[in-house]
Amino acid sequence: MDKRDAESVKQAIGCPMSRRKFLRCLAAAGALAAMPGGLLRSFDAKAGKIIYEGDYEIYRNACPRNCYDTCSIKSYVKDGVLQFIEGAKESTFTDGGLCVKGYAYTRRPYSPDRIKYPMIQDGRGSGNWRRISWDEAMDMIAKKLVEINDKDDSMLGLGLTKYSGNFGITNYAVEGMMTSLGYTTRLVGTPCWPAGIDAQNYDLGDMWCNDPEDMVNSRYIILWGANPAWNSVHTMKYIYAAQDRGAKVVCIDPVFTQTAAKADVYWQVDTSMDGALALGMARHILDKGLFDKAWVEENSVGFNEFADYLRNEITVQWASEKSGIPQQQIVEVAEEFAAAKPATIWIGYGLQRHVNGGATVRSIDALAAMTGNVGKTGGGARYGHMRTWGFNYHALLQKRPEGAKGFLGGKGPKGDFDFSGDEEAEYTDRALNINKTAEMLLTADDPPIRVLWISCKNVLSQDFDRPRMLEAFKKPELIVSVEQFFTQTVELSDIVLPVTTLFEESTINASYWHYWLSVNEQGIKPMYEAKSNTEIAAALSARMNKLKPGSCTFPTEVDTRQWMIKEFNQDIYDLFGIDSWQDLKKGPAKAKMHPASWHDLEFGTPSKKYEFRSDLCAQHGHQALPKFKAARKPYDKLRLLTPHTKFGIHSQFINIDWMEEFNKKPYCYLHPTAASERGITDGDQVRVFNKVGEVELEVKLTQNVPADVVMMYEAWFRNNAYNCQNVVDDTSSDMGKYKTGAPGVAIHDQFADVEKV
Amino acid sequence: MNPDPITNPLGPALRDFFISADASGHKRAYLQISEALQNPLPRVNDWRQVEYAFTRLFVGPKSLEAPPFASVYLETEPLVMGPTTMMVRSVYEMMGLVSPWKNALPEDHVSLELDAALVMENAAQQGGSAELDELRQFFVCRHMAAWIPAFVKRVSQAESAHPAIVRAAKLAGQWVDDQAVLINAQRNQHLKQGGWNG
Ligand code: SF4
Repeated sequence: MDKRDAESVKQAIGCPMSRRKFLRCLAAAGALAAMPGGLLRSFDAKAGKIIYEGDYEIYRNACPRNCYDTCSIKSYVKDGVLQFIEGAKESTFTDGGLCVKGYAYTRRPYSPDRIKYPMIQDGRGSGNWRRISWDEAMDMIAKKLVEINDKDDSMLGLGLTKYSGNFGITNYAVEGMMTSLGYTTRLVGTPCWPAGIDAQNYDLGDMWCNDPEDMVNSRYIILWGANPAWNSVHTMKYIYAAQDRGAKVVCIDPVFTQTAAKADVYWQVDTSMDGALALGMARHILDKGLFDKAWVEENSVGFNEFADYLRNEITVQWASEKSGIPQQQIVEVAEEFAAAKPATIWIGYGLQRHVNGGATVRSIDALAAMTGNVGKTGGGARYGHMRTWGFNYHALLQKRPEGAKGFLGGKGPKGDFDFSGDEEAEYTDRALNINKTAEMLLTADDPPIRVLWISCKNVLSQDFDRPRMLEAFKKPELIVSVEQFFTQTVELSDIVLPVTTLFEESTINASYWHYWLSVNEQGIKPMYEAKSNTEIAAALSARMNKLKPGSCTFPTEVDTRQWMIKEFNQDIYDLFGIDSWQDLKKGPAKAKMHPASWHDLEFGTPSKKYEFRSDLCAQHGHQALPKFKAARKPYDKLRLLTPHTKFGIHSQFINIDWMEEFNKKPYCYLHPTAASERGITDGDQVRVFNKVGEVELEVKLTQNVPADVVMMYEAWFRNNAYNCQNVVDDTSSDMGKYKTGAPGVAIHDQFADVEKV
Repeated sequence: MNPDPITNPLGPALRDFFISADASGHKRAYLQISEALQNPLPRVNDWRQVEYAFTRLFVGPKSLEAPPFASVYLETEPLVMGPTTMMVRSVYEMMGLVSPWKNALPEDHVSLELDAALVMENAAQQGGSAELDELRQFFVCRHMAAWIPAFVKRVSQAESAHPAIVRAAKLAGQWVDDQAVLINAQRNQHLKQGGWNG
């Protein structure tokens, strides 16, 4: 529309006065008759009222992405259309603001690129898609499920992979749907944080962090492998406030991040040598007698053995050689950290994505514990928590169909979000390692994965060893993905089902970082034919039962709002100090918990104390003490890092138009020294390659990365084939199996070389 | 061209073509388009290929090659349900009409707009009014005429352009042009006759 047209639109209808005048005129003339066989209908009361300027309906939402901040959102809807959103002011954590990704949320439901209808692809990967009805889609899937159940005498041929695409609690209906169909195969574990979860469980008896809002009380903050300036923007204000009150902030990261730029001290640690650094600091604190003798005597076991280990095997010089941080600096920071009370360490998830990741987290925990900083406000070894997640898991907990058979002899799957509560039964689901999905799909047998169901996950962008994954995706007989956008995973699916955005469904959201709880209200109708995961489960169940009565126990009719309500219980109300879930419509609520984790010093370990020596850890095949563990041996010339980008959460958001504007295409980042050795100049097109595969993209030269590193961000671009998983293998990290069902993956223990193309 | 939408099924056929969900719908509408023309359209042998091309252009699941929504062509940002969609919704409301897919399918979908233009044309033939004339002038001659040509061009140049779909798109473009000429002619005639009187 040119300017003149835009003006005439405004004149004709933009101004409510003239619009009203128009309506009056036309009403006087009588409504126009809809065309026989036409599309538009006569306006009647049922269609809703006409809304004029200023009439907003306000809804409560929460960002359901895999983000520390889990922002509480207030959304404004007019005439059924989402107009804009803002951060909720009631949450002191969200404090009325969202991040750039959050503000781009209105672009999700209304992107013309959204997946609109159930569709089928004639020939996996062919690009030949047809629109089908929900009935047709459910019929095809249900027939296939009945067929595999008949063939295998179980549902184990049905595999589910789901992770962090939507943390709304009712989305556990996906797992519930699987259970309601019988014993199935689950890809379990987490690529995210498993080694650290196990480490904290061995040391403390659970993963439980202080309230991030309590970081203002810290006198000394070490941000260890965390980049909150990008990935937890709301926590930054507490860090700044602590800084204003005189706290020193130390940032330890192989990459000079935006967080590093804000810190008082930055250490560019040699990747995966964080454990050595922590132990070197611990040795110096021990030597200087700066540890909290009373605390360790009263509240821990195994400190003396740990001290012996430090004295016998660790020196500051050794730590310095390993980590690349000068001895003098290690000594200074160690002394300051030990002297400052309280002092805290934020342990980022990146530093445990290594073959020695769990051991590293244990060394860092030990540093916080020996200085008496555990159980104190402003202190703590902060990693994450799930203390506010005590929902009913109504959507998740479904019955198995009568007579269902499953996997014999296993203990059944677990996960970081495992709330299955299955009773001891003869059969279990079959658990496969999510971090080796390609291998699992290729090798699972008797029965193989015949049908793969993918929800809340972009497997082809996020899972490791992509060249192998491409092979693995040829194997299932049917692949169904549930998505909002056309990802590389949808590209290799047979059927795609359109799923609702947060504005189009009802659910609840808790955080794994802060202590707030938000209700997520449905404010708009689902666009096109999108359905929530709960409704999809109900639709499938209806079709299954029609084909074969009793084959699926999932309710065939669901009211998603009612299902949201069913997730609440009295414990939740008590914890959050609310009378009813309805209170959350006025704004999010904060758990009435002590701001310091382990404040009562009642640890969850077998000894009920902090365990420098964990026999359980040893039983699980690791070292009993938080000893140094060697790094992965390099298999190529440069280390490859694939951290988070500012413009996305894993593979989400990067395709949204506002994000695309800032972040049009992927780059890899190389130190000028590494570049000149290879005859590479800024802006060259390069090939990053290793034994796994290769990626071609433009290079940017920067001193922010070490000279022995090539870095590129994990991302999925709408119109770009870029995929960093082409050069990341699926080597396991040391820990994760204990609490999450499968070891983590050494995402940052990857190596590659770069050449100009 | 015959201006009577009751006896001339071209407009309705074009409308139906761009909103049909599958190959059989495309085929039915295409044959109707063909019947409405003096020179029949070329035969299509494989309707499946039309369907695949149609989804790549207008439906998904991949990024659309030629989104069928006015917003995409008229606004600086590629998004639906914004000012343009709401403006079009207002126009339908002024006519006393509403989309059966309100808040599920944007009102500025090409087929809904073609339907609105047909309703207006029909009402004009039943006598019309000055307000209707003004609305029609705005909606067809200014709004539709502002984006449909860009849409037709995008369809024609798209990677997945199929000759049958390109023909239908071009005919839709022509239909809007013809409507605009007709509306202006009628308006001039009314002005000559001294305006509206009923
Ligand atoms: S991505 Fe994180 S910071 Fe951004 S809106 Fe969502 S929860 Fe908030």
